Amino acid sequence: MDQQNSPDTPTEESMDNNSQIIIATQPVALVDRIKSIDAIRGFALLGILMMNIPLFGINWDFWYNIIHAPRSGWDFYTFAVIGVFFDGTMRGLFSMLFGAGMVLFMLNKKDVSGGPTVAEYYYRRLLWLVLFGVFNSFILLWGGDILFFYGLCGMILFAFRKLQPKYLVMLSVVSFSIGICKNHWGWSHHRGLRLAHNEAVAAKAENKKLTEEQEGAITTWTEREKNQKPDTAEVNRNHRKMLSGYGTIFMYSIPLNAGFEVWFMYHKVWDMLTMMLLGMALFSWGFFTNKLRTSTYTMWLLIGYGIGIPIGWVIFDQGMMYAGPPGAYADQWRSSHFVYDECRRVLLTIGHASLLMLVFRSHIVPWLMKALANVGQMAFTNYLMQSIICTWFFYGYGFGYYDKLKFYQLYYVVGAVWIFQIIFSAIWMHYFRFGPFEWLWRTLTYWRLQPMRK
Amino acid sequence: MDPTPSAPIDPEQPQDIATKPEPPDHGRILSLDVLRGLALLGILLVSIWEFGGFSTAEQNFYRTSPHGGNYTLLTAVSILFEGKMRALFALVFGAGILLFLQKKDHPTPLATSDAYIRRQLWLMIFGLFNAFILLWPGDILFQYGVVGILLFAFTRMKSNGLFIAAIFCTLIFCGKNYWNYADDQKAYKKYTVVKTVETRIKQDSLSRAKKDSLDRTKDTILLADTLLQNKRLDSIAIKNDTLTNKQVEEKGAWEGTVKAMKYDTAQTKKANKAMRADYTEVWNHLLRKSQNKESRWLYSIGVWDIGAMMLLGMALFSIGFFSLRYAASRYLVIALITLIVGFALAWFRIRGNDARLPDYAIYISTHTIPYDLFFPFERLLLVVGYASLVLWLLSIGVLRWVWQVVATIGRMALTNYILQSVLCTFLFYGYGFGYYGSLHQWQLYFVVVELALVQIVFSVFWLRYYSMGPLEWLWRCLIYRTWLPIKIQRQNSTSTSDI
Repeated sequence: MDQQNSPDTPTEESMDNNSQIIIATQPVALVDRIKSIDAIRGFALLGILMMNIPLFGINWDFWYNIIHAPRSGWDFYTFAVIGVFFDGTMRGLFSMLFGAGMVLFMLNKKDVSGGPTVAEYYYRRLLWLVLFGVFNSFILLWGGDILFFYGLCGMILFAFRKLQPKYLVMLSVVSFSIGICKNHWGWSHHRGLRLAHNEAVAAKAENKKLTEEQEGAITTWTEREKNQKPDTAEVNRNHRKMLSGYGTIFMYSIPLNAGFEVWFMYHKVWDMLTMMLLGMALFSWGFFTNKLRTSTYTMWLLIGYGIGIPIGWVIFDQGMMYAGPPGAYADQWRSSHFVYDECRRVLLTIGHASLLMLVFRSHIVPWLMKALANVGQMAFTNYLMQSIICTWFFYGYGFGYYDKLKFYQLYYVVGAVWIFQIIFSAIWMHYFRFGPFEWLWRTLTYWRLQPMRK
Repeated sequence: MDPTPSAPIDPEQPQDIATKPEPPDHGRILSLDVLRGLALLGILLVSIWEFGGFSTAEQNFYRTSPHGGNYTLLTAVSILFEGKMRALFALVFGAGILLFLQKKDHPTPLATSDAYIRRQLWLMIFGLFNAFILLWPGDILFQYGVVGILLFAFTRMKSNGLFIAAIFCTLIFCGKNYWNYADDQKAYKKYTVVKTVETRIKQDSLSRAKKDSLDRTKDTILLADTLLQNKRLDSIAIKNDTLTNKQVEEKGAWEGTVKAMKYDTAQTKKANKAMRADYTEVWNHLLRKSQNKESRWLYSIGVWDIGAMMLLGMALFSIGFFSLRYAASRYLVIALITLIVGFALAWFRIRGNDARLPDYAIYISTHTIPYDLFFPFERLLLVVGYASLVLWLLSIGVLRWVWQVVATIGRMALTNYILQSVLCTFLFYGYGFGYYGSLHQWQLYFVVVELALVQIVFSVFWLRYYSMGPLEWLWRCLIYRTWLPIKIQRQNSTSTSDI
């Protein structure tokens, strides 16, 4: 894999075909695919399972048990590595590449007079992505689906695709700041309730008669504190439900997944836009196309990891592992650690990306990069396949391993899925141009059967 | 203005037209402006409830009290306007999407798709401003922005496909109404089960208490022993006798549903107090509501509700319905049929609601379908009916000056829509005059008439001097990222000072 120089600018597709319509609908010529982007995407795709696997396979009180256990043992170490080093960053990489891919999609195509414009294809493509997301969460029953959000975010990004990189970075910073402000705002609301409670308790201690509001403040906080602890009945119910048949899980998931889609899209859109806009800027600068100097990548690696890991450790150590009563935490901190988790996420994502680019250009493990590129080239298929495999492995209508493995044991499953996906992708890409779901997606977007065989 | 404009766009239009101020009715379709103006004025007939603090609970109170003037007025507004004016607005918006995409005379060389997406994104931002700065939780601009973007993928669809898509969305909307009702039915079933358990528990503890007192009097010698024994048994019995958390929850869920339908003095007082307070408090009070409208409501209902109407508007536009393509008699026939069926459905809904409100438990155990199951179709039919009626009147050419006036409102719809928020919040909220919750229903309608007059006068005067409303101008400037002329250029003067 030595054609680092080939993708100077993503070239327009070969024009030798006679039909005009084909120009707009033809896949990016195989040689033109940017291998480095595929490799990073493959890495992110495999990596994202590390964060998703607990939601697939273990009851959600697992974190509570880990933070209340001694800080040792495999569960803790796994939890620490994931929490400090990976959490959210694979989603970050994915988002960055989604932004880059969007620019790529628009660059690669030209309007054909009379037919639908590239913009229309773009929006059809995204609308199908939204529907695939709905399919993934409500039919495959994967509650952590991100395709839905990516489809919608992509619809916003369109307006910014021609912006200069520096403005994209500025917008990314704006989006980042809004995210932080919203986090902080949520925290101060929470803390405000605590402070009101403290005041009321102090008044009670002085034997003053409490006003109705003060009584309310006490009950509100007590209720909240109680809700911080996983409710055993709820946890048991979840356990029972997830080990039932398809119909039960289907009905059980509807309100949960709908609630998640609403909440994440409306309140966490900044999380995605920040990374997508950054990804667009980095792409224009040639970051993902291997056009920067080694020293630049090294610098970003050092900045990303050098600042990101310490921040990550503090947040993990003081925030995530905090096992005391929530009231004491709220009394102590004006702003929560989790408010700034976004800083860790962004820095580490940049760090990961730089590291991957360095490995890629150094050619030390070309076979690995090739394997990752295969996975990345059919990322959409592999993402949906993770849902299919994991739901079948864990849920009641499949093998029913839900809640049966320890936290660290889940990562054996992750490893197995990785190996399977790497092999499967390599074989599939040997014979076909796209992954099966990619093919379906393209066929739906262009509303005509796409070629499949190489 | 010609009442029968057939071709909306003149391809021969010189390209430099946009650098000069536009003549007032360039590229516009009178019928769309008229319908948009009517929708805009009509929207306030219903949104005044929320602006003025005439809550759903209060409406339910009138519905269940002995029927008087309040009941009649409420019913009339509900049948004629509730949901329909908003739908008409969306219908015209849908038609406007296609009109916008056909436009060839962009003031700057910007691809149509780019202009369109920016237009929608700025509309979302106007909506956020309306909801969180002007504090109008009933805002729909945000939702129109979002749904308009989703519909971009459908803009090339043929009219048949658009009609089918519109019906499909309407059906899903109906399905959602049914689903909510099915949830209520389930909740009620669970409630009745819990209720039986509770009654049994009461009987048990009653008989135990009787037995207890009997035991005590029967034997005085073994009193201490018996008492101890009884106590132990009792504690076991009580453990089995209280409802589990889940049962309590299930009982509460249904009771909450029923309670929400009833007028609650304390609740109303609390809301009135918050709304009559200063800006910060009103803001805090409305925050959750506005967020819900933009997220949960949009996700579960709004996208179908608004999407159906916009798709229908696109479909009607593409068959030339708004360009008065058909004979006048055809419009009249369509109007008559749709209005008759639509009002019948509205009547069914009102009757169902009246049956439901006094005792929901009875309704739910005797009715298999919810009262609002056909509401989406009622809306669809009535909107088509109203539009056809207006188009009929336009094509037979009566009341021309009235249509001209209404069209001016419609041409500055965005300005007027935001103006409604500005005026109403100032009139009703605490940081303005603070009339929230203190006017009667019929008094609110004086406000509506008053505001309509203000808007008419304002629009007519404004459009005498300017080619578009101030916010329309701002919107265009934001889309094209350049200052565009707004003043009307008189035929004889060559003013260049307005840029």
